[in-house]
Amino acid sequence: MSSASGASAQAWSPKVVGFVCDWAVATGDLTDERGRLTSHPSVVLIRVPCSGFIRPAWLEDALKAGADAVFVVGCPYGDCLNREGNYLMRERVDQLQRRLQRRKVEPERLSMLAHGLHDREAFLGEIAALLERLRQIGPASKGAAPARRAAAAPAEGS
Amino acid sequence: MYRRALTALQRFTLRLDVGMNRVYPTDWNPLYYTGGLTNLFLFILVLSGIFIFFYYVPSLVGAHASIVYLTEQVPYGGLIRGIHRYSADAFIVAALLHLFRNWFTDRYLFSRDSPWISGMFLLLFGGFAGVTGYIMVWDERGLALLGIFDGLLRSIPAAGTKLAEWLVGAAGVGEGTLPRILLLHVGPASLLYVLLWWHYVRLRHPKIWPPATWVLVSLGLVTLLAALLPVTSGIPATPGARPSTMPLDVFFLLPFWLAGVVPPFLVVLLVAGLFVAGLVIPYINRESPAEMGVRQPGVAQVIDGNCTGCELCYYDCPYNAIIMVPSPYPGLTRAAASRKLLAVVLDSRCIQCGICIGACPFEALELPGMLESDVTRRVEEAVRAAETVPA
Repeated sequence: MSSASGASAQAWSPKVVGFVCDWAVATGDLTDERGRLTSHPSVVLIRVPCSGFIRPAWLEDALKAGADAVFVVGCPYGDCLNREGNYLMRERVDQLQRRLQRRKVEPERLSMLAHGLHDREAFLGEIAALLERLRQIGPASKGAAPARRAAAAPAEGS
Repeated sequence: MYRRALTALQRFTLRLDVGMNRVYPTDWNPLYYTGGLTNLFLFILVLSGIFIFFYYVPSLVGAHASIVYLTEQVPYGGLIRGIHRYSADAFIVAALLHLFRNWFTDRYLFSRDSPWISGMFLLLFGGFAGVTGYIMVWDERGLALLGIFDGLLRSIPAAGTKLAEWLVGAAGVGEGTLPRILLLHVGPASLLYVLLWWHYVRLRHPKIWPPATWVLVSLGLVTLLAALLPVTSGIPATPGARPSTMPLDVFFLLPFWLAGVVPPFLVVLLVAGLFVAGLVIPYINRESPAEMGVRQPGVAQVIDGNCTGCELCYYDCPYNAIIMVPSPYPGLTRAAASRKLLAVVLDSRCIQCGICIGACPFEALELPGMLESDVTRRVEEAVRAAETVPA
């Protein structure tokens, strides 16, 4: 198993966009100047004032623009600096996951993580696990993210 | 020095959180519910206090006897008295944990100062209610405490004598004393709820209660303590006699212990100094957010033409900073054309977190420092950066 996944890791690194709350895990020295993680350069981070700042539409935008997956990092649940932001975002991510599933987008492509300021090992571990899952399900199919093709699909299925 | 200490303490607090999160799921981490636990213990105190109030007789001869009657004759009376005592201790411990936690994690700065200031008053009056509670038992310790309390009041220059006459009674300890002390116990305790309104006023959906599991655990803990270590009264107070023993309660009676060591006026100065120091903590050594490296995207702005009056931002704003007003004119978009309400941001309450932007499905809110167009541009840049992975 390890050799197979090792080989596919060489072959393909999924493009991932991550939104990170300013108050959650500190990533200052983990990224280069374009926001790429130095340990996984195909993962790009965007810092935002609070995880609750993110509109679900922006996550969808990232998928449509060609990202294989999107994730949001908030503070640990119960410890949001604004008390509510990460809970609200978790709900929005859950809703968007359900909506995307109807369009045959795998739920793995959208995730909500929670890591505190000094929690970077756990954060990097979670990213590595996410990349591994993405390698198993493969790249996002071109037509999957926009809703148009899904309308025609049931006819072939039934 | 102060700043370095705070940074170290913040690091320690967050480490503690991470450790605690390994034991409990994050939704249950008791350290995230110190405020809710404090409120829970206050609620237990009020309920058990009402029960004790039914039996308490505030007179020189009746006070001690009524408490002994409550403890020994009334079914579960001793248990409820014990619950009252131990949840008072737990209240102070939880309140102090709450204070230190919010201090060390920077949750008292800038627009968060009003919960901090009200919290200082809550601590002061909570502690005071605890002291008068010990006097009400009216055993030797209660009498000694009353003496020290009287001495502390009288040591205040100019106002001291009058204060002592008002609070203890004109002719020293007499029949007028215990009704006053009863009022000084129940009054500040009721005042706590007024202060709690101030404590919560800027918060939407404050976490007032801990998770049900912790409610049951706390209730079980104080009940178990009350059953295993029953609270008893000392020898009845006889005014004029010297107390034989003086058991110390570390949570409430430290200043009274101190009054035996240093002059009373110094103790008054120390308590007042600590209180004032607590009040100025949010304002000393104050750096601007820019100096602290905190992003300042500006107060959220309503894009008036897009707002449909759907109230989603109003429900999600954690600081009650968005209010809905009757719409003075229709919006510009089709969705907003027949709106009844319009969202308005109160600048003084907004802390620029941007949660309302995430809540709004109609693109009717923007942070001036981080517009939606900025974010979408950054998303495109991010996808391009992910494509051009360096080999």
